[in-house]
Amino acid sequence: MTWLTPLIAGIAAAIAVPSLVILYFLKLRRRDMEVSTTLLWKKAIQDIQANAPFQKLRRNILLILQIIALAAAIAAVGQPQLSGDTTKGDRHIILIDRSASMNAIDGDPAKKTNPATRLEIAKKQAEELVDTLREPGVFQKESADQAMVIAFDSTAEVRQQFTSDKSLLKAAIRSIAATDGPTRLTEAMRLATAHSKPVVVENRGLVSGPGSVLHLFGDGKMPDTMETQPGANDTFMFHRVGEPESGNVAIANVRAERAFDNPSQLSIFVGLQSTMRAPRAVDVELTIDGAVAGVKAVTMPPATSVLPETSNTDKGAEAGDSKPPTPVFTPSTGGVVFPMERVEGALVSVRLRGLDDDNAGNRALTPTADVLPTDDAAYVVVPPAKRLAVAIVSAKGNLFLSAALDGLPLSRHDVMTPEQFQKVLAEGRGGEYDVFVLDGWVPAPDGDGSLPPGRYVIFNAVPPGAGVMDKGVSGPTQIVDWDRSHPVMRSVNLDPLIIGKNRAVEVVKAQAGGAGADVSAVVLASTTSGASIVEARGADWRAVIVPWDLMESNWPFDVGFIVFTAQAVGYVGGSSGGVIGQSQMVQPGAILSDRLPTGASNVTIESPAGESSRLEAAADGRVVFGPIRAMGFYRVSWTGSSGPTDSQRDGRNERFFAANLLDSRESDAASADKLELASRPVAAQDALETKGTRKLWPWFLLGALAVVMLEWFVYNRKVHV
Amino acid sequence: MQRTQTITRPKALEDLLGSDLISKIGGLDIASKKIFAGKLKGERRSKKRGQSVEFADHRPYVSGDDIRHIDWNIFGRLDRLFLKLFLEEEDLSLHVVIDASSSSDCGEPSKFLFMQKAAMALGYVGLVNLNRVAATSMGGTTVAAENAGDVEIEPGEVRQVRDLRGRRRTHDLSRFICSLAPAGPISFRDAAERIALTRRGKGVMVVFSDFFFKDGYEAGLRMLVGHGYDVFCVQVLSPQEVEPPITGDLRLKDVEDGDLAEVTISAPLLKRYKANLAAYCEELRAFCSRRDMTLITVKSDTPIDSLLLDYLRKRGVVR
Repeated sequence: MTWLTPLIAGIAAAIAVPSLVILYFLKLRRRDMEVSTTLLWKKAIQDIQANAPFQKLRRNILLILQIIALAAAIAAVGQPQLSGDTTKGDRHIILIDRSASMNAIDGDPAKKTNPATRLEIAKKQAEELVDTLREPGVFQKESADQAMVIAFDSTAEVRQQFTSDKSLLKAAIRSIAATDGPTRLTEAMRLATAHSKPVVVENRGLVSGPGSVLHLFGDGKMPDTMETQPGANDTFMFHRVGEPESGNVAIANVRAERAFDNPSQLSIFVGLQSTMRAPRAVDVELTIDGAVAGVKAVTMPPATSVLPETSNTDKGAEAGDSKPPTPVFTPSTGGVVFPMERVEGALVSVRLRGLDDDNAGNRALTPTADVLPTDDAAYVVVPPAKRLAVAIVSAKGNLFLSAALDGLPLSRHDVMTPEQFQKVLAEGRGGEYDVFVLDGWVPAPDGDGSLPPGRYVIFNAVPPGAGVMDKGVSGPTQIVDWDRSHPVMRSVNLDPLIIGKNRAVEVVKAQAGGAGADVSAVVLASTTSGASIVEARGADWRAVIVPWDLMESNWPFDVGFIVFTAQAVGYVGGSSGGVIGQSQMVQPGAILSDRLPTGASNVTIESPAGESSRLEAAADGRVVFGPIRAMGFYRVSWTGSSGPTDSQRDGRNERFFAANLLDSRESDAASADKLELASRPVAAQDALETKGTRKLWPWFLLGALAVVMLEWFVYNRKVHV
Repeated sequence: MQRTQTITRPKALEDLLGSDLISKIGGLDIASKKIFAGKLKGERRSKKRGQSVEFADHRPYVSGDDIRHIDWNIFGRLDRLFLKLFLEEEDLSLHVVIDASSSSDCGEPSKFLFMQKAAMALGYVGLVNLNRVAATSMGGTTVAAENAGDVEIEPGEVRQVRDLRGRRRTHDLSRFICSLAPAGPISFRDAAERIALTRRGKGVMVVFSDFFFKDGYEAGLRMLVGHGYDVFCVQVLSPQEVEPPITGDLRLKDVEDGDLAEVTISAPLLKRYKANLAAYCEELRAFCSRRDMTLITVKSDTPIDSLLLDYLRKRGVVR
């Protein structure tokens, strides 16, 4: 049982009970007195009553009062409410955006005494919405509104299942905390529609019910709105938070690159974007391992605005709307590069400075402040520059491979036979080499049916248990498609490649729970008859597989072959040149998943805020953490053997991961006017338009109590005066 | 209004009639404005004749009659002898009636003591003037019974002492009056009926009461009026009944029947009470004057001598 207003009840009791007792005392305290006759007194009483105004009414006033009291009590039992118009549906689904952009504080912070983030405003509005829901009646529980709460960024979670308990709903809303992740509406909508089930009506089969009312509280900056649509009977309401004019300067991209020819040359590329309406000067500050390593000033041009093209039908529809179409702003972009000489690994963070010193420093060209501080920082884990040790395992040697590897800045370059390779493995010296290039030969499957632990680039062979199925040698063919964005295939042109004897392979999906369940394979290039270049990885090995014979193609004479070989070796070997640190970068909202060396124990992960939590490594060394909520460096440390790029501190191995927003859509802080859902556009509501439902029954009950007391008073006056 | 706090019952004549008062009222005589107005002569010597004092008759002369009484005017007109019968003057009856209900035992000073004193003074005037004096109490009990705790009475009961004449009987009268003690309710109508049936002769009847009868005074007064009696009603009210000195929330109890009235004294209520009292008295007065009775309303703190010498003399009870 919940007492909604214990204070008022207490006050009412404190007033009413003593008053009643006092009235009783008044009656009991009469003095007795003997008189010669009561004849004249009784007559006087009757005369007073008869001569009183409205004596006709007074004669029945007790009856009238009792009727009023009874009516009030009955009205109270009916539990009347003053209700607004918009809370129509019985089931409400409250979707609250908690993504990075909801950390924005709109408007001029100097003018606000208590600046609230968009999420705080959204939560407040959602609580107001909860207040307007109809409460369960004493006699008709089913007439109450129900609501559920879903919080989402790139993932969605149900914070509160359908309930009519407002305190539960409000507690769920209050518990929502902002994350640094991007926004995706799709999953939230999928979750919402899954809960908005149709109602089965008896004798009429499955009939969709009245539907739910979906309330989206957010700034509407979602890239995937076109992919979602509410149910046919659902009502979708978009409660916008934030202002459409809000501008923001953000780090849209950050990248660390080492030169191929000289891995000690490190470049940090910082991509910027600005959605401000005016030019804006910012300082980009680079910090390496906590120490400021450089500051560069950039002036961001204003965002370019384009008036949206309106079709004739739209014009017709908006004929009565006098508002001019709001221009669409495209963020301006800019960038800055920090080149440096650095061999060691580093934790590099980039920050935007000078965004808040509008008045003091006179740096700003616009008075508009940067509303979203979350995306003013980015983090990169730069692994140490290293030269790889590579061994070519070939039964009869391969001139092209040797020549290609000769040109790479390697620390070691050996050629060995399969027997020598087996010997190296048997002696446990496999760790001396970063990459084995297998030419026309693969080792026999080890205990788990796939390759021995290690990194491989395989030519002219198909390893067993690697997630690819050999379809046999076929005739000549050409590459028809390849993944140009993959680090291995970048800058490789496969158009001139002609394969004389193709060995097509097919990527087979691993069966869950079966042998090789943790083996995955990705097609990098494919011919008309199947995959021709595959990247495969298992529990403790990683390989780029070219299953056909190089000698039966024109590829060795193509410069692309050199580039491919260099990139493949660098990729599987954990890099030396090119883009680095990408494998240790995650986006908030995603799951941090990595593989530690086998036997890692006592694993902990430390968040940017310094909170440490234990992780349990699986038998193969896999650890999973997340979803990631905040941006910054995550430090995974463990005891046991270490990988080649891991560092040591205090007797523990450590590996760093950088969590970055780096989402240009999310960094566009202007809130949207409308949501373009797949089915229809939904205009934004800036304020909650629902009027509050006000429970009236306590007032009726209070009125009844007052009338009863008045009746008692009148009764006493009437009978005993 | 309230019951008298300390009840002092008169024990002897001295308690009722002081020597000062005797000297003041010594020269008074009982009068009747109606019947005996204009009576001139024939002082109480003839034998009583006839029942009616209001009828003057003629009868034919027979031998042996006193020829002085022959009506010569009729003889001159009719040429026959008729005897003129003079109205015989009889001794005047004075009948004092006291209301001895509990309500008389109220007020400061006590209404009943006032009635006793007034009745004694009036009776004394009657006795010294050789009138036939009777005294009656309606209801009530005796002091002896009251002291013994035996107060059960019949509402219509009356006590009487009659046919007292002459100064010698003053003590008889005072003894009777002193023996009276008010008690219980009375039925005014029943008591009046008994008094009317038992009284004799003609004369003056003075009724002392507050006339607060719940069953009404009209029926009783109708019984008493007429039949040769000139009725004077003396309504005795205590000062507390005229100006109630009470305040607050009260439960008023009727001393006679125990009837309760719960009141909260307020200015409008007191105003209304006084208006009701005045209206009640006025109604009583109107009733009396319609039936040729005389009503005198006095407060119980009025001196007895001023009652007799002023109030009663002005209204023709004494002269």
